[in-house]
Amino acid sequence: MHFKFNYNHELYQAIWPGAFLFLFLLMTVSPSAAQNKEKVEELKKDEKGKYIYYEIVNEITAPADSLVDRAHAFFKLKKMSPLTADTIPAGLNDQLMRSGKFIISRTAFVLSHPSGEILYNLVFETRGSKYRFWLTDFQFIPYQRDRYGNFVPSTTKGIPLEKSPGKLNAGEWSDYVSDAGRQSAAFAAGFKEYLSASQQAKPLHKSTSIISTKSW
Amino acid sequence: MKMKSLFTLSALTMSAATYAQETTTSTPLQISGSADVYYKYDFSKKPNIGTSFANDQNSVSIGMIDLALKKTTGKASFVGELSFGPRGQYGSIPNGEGETGNADNSFHIQNLYMSYAVTGKLALTAGYMSTFIGYEVIVPTGNFNYSTSYLFTSGPFQNAGIRANYVFSPKVALMVGLFNDWNAYKDVNGVTHFGAQLTVVPVEGWTAYFNVLSGRASGATGTGTIYDLTSAYQVTEKVKIGLNAADYAVTNDNGGYSGVALYLQNAFTPNFSLGLRGEYFQTKDVPDLKGSNVKSITLTANLKSGGLTFIPEVRFDNGSTARFVKNNLDPTKNASQFSLAAVYAF
Repeated sequence: MHFKFNYNHELYQAIWPGAFLFLFLLMTVSPSAAQNKEKVEELKKDEKGKYIYYEIVNEITAPADSLVDRAHAFFKLKKMSPLTADTIPAGLNDQLMRSGKFIISRTAFVLSHPSGEILYNLVFETRGSKYRFWLTDFQFIPYQRDRYGNFVPSTTKGIPLEKSPGKLNAGEWSDYVSDAGRQSAAFAAGFKEYLSASQQAKPLHKSTSIISTKSW
Repeated sequence: MKMKSLFTLSALTMSAATYAQETTTSTPLQISGSADVYYKYDFSKKPNIGTSFANDQNSVSIGMIDLALKKTTGKASFVGELSFGPRGQYGSIPNGEGETGNADNSFHIQNLYMSYAVTGKLALTAGYMSTFIGYEVIVPTGNFNYSTSYLFTSGPFQNAGIRANYVFSPKVALMVGLFNDWNAYKDVNGVTHFGAQLTVVPVEGWTAYFNVLSGRASGATGTGTIYDLTSAYQVTEKVKIGLNAADYAVTNDNGGYSGVALYLQNAFTPNFSLGLRGEYFQTKDVPDLKGSNVKSITLTANLKSGGLTFIPEVRFDNGSTARFVKNNLDPTKNASQFSLAAVYAF
């Protein structure tokens, strides 16, 4: 058999299995084919021009102190950190604030890997028979693969989502903003459900049903 | 036959992913990787600067395709990473270049290891892993500069072994391990190397790694020990500083090297960064041969668009001895080159 680049035959042989696999992966790891097509909850901007997810809940059944306790429990469950003193905005000392993050993943069918994280701050406040909360201060931190094949933050300083990325990455950035909106909405739904759910006491011992094979 | 193997691999991949869906404690199989191509032009028209990769003169050449798989089930995880192409196959070690019996080597293993998180702070890892020594790595997506430093070229690429990582606090961690010889899938003279890494995070954004690796390689006439400091500090959102300093010595007057490299980077926008690398590298004296040094300055830009990064770069090297050649093959102390690389990460 003759090869056009015969002197590189061994190299050709070495490359082509990888090239084939690469093309296969390109076909499967296509973000456009894999994006969640659910309705996207777009983030809006507040009076300062910052992205915000804001909700007021009027119909509450629990007293305010119970709501605060439940909110604390929820934050603990989600492992959300309190804001440090120097990051708490002026005038918001009486409110419950936490920081959290969403993981952004490139997904193709059932295969994915994290491509970054979006940090945010959450503010929670009760008044009379209603409460409100909002997510803001969104910052994107890209991930990169480290020398051991793990995805880790490439920097400790996040880029505010409001910052224009320029033409080259506008599409990708728009996806990040959309994903922040979608995950904010999902977070809000879970938060509201947790606050509205009746807190039933958990049994001391987990009951297990046993199937008897002795009588039948 | 190869086609059959690839389809089998594809089927296995999809099966593994399906399994991941059914196992609640598992994370989905992660697939990631990169591909790179480059053009290099040495101004003396000779391939002068012979660091690890990107050495083809006046040629549009390929680097490698790198494919990585990662899977976590409960506390256990594995990483498998293979590379195909000159950068992975011939530029890395082990390779098939110059070895008749190894000429059909068609890939290079970057990582192949298993890890088990005994507790939230203690993890055990065994296998073939990228080295913990040094600032730069083989995979181009892990480096800002496309050409590599003399320190990287001279140090280990990978270490096979078993190691334990313990995280004392978010600011301090320690790794200790036993390893094979450098860059060897298997060791013929036993597990002869000891290594350790102390990780310190003095302030947020600043990480320093103090590394040591010592042992007697198969056939070596002395014990080689490398001390390495690798540090990176994200000073602001835009400015990053990196440092690598290392000293390697082999007992019984068998030489070694020492050097330091400083990395300064500024991200003018999220998509455009400039970085400067300055390096001083010195080989040690051995009997009848005095050591020499080389200084190198590299100016690199990173222009990103999605997963693609363009990397134009100019590099100037100056040696204490005439280690390079001019166009007419006369020896010279200086060399300079331009390169343009495209690296795609997925």
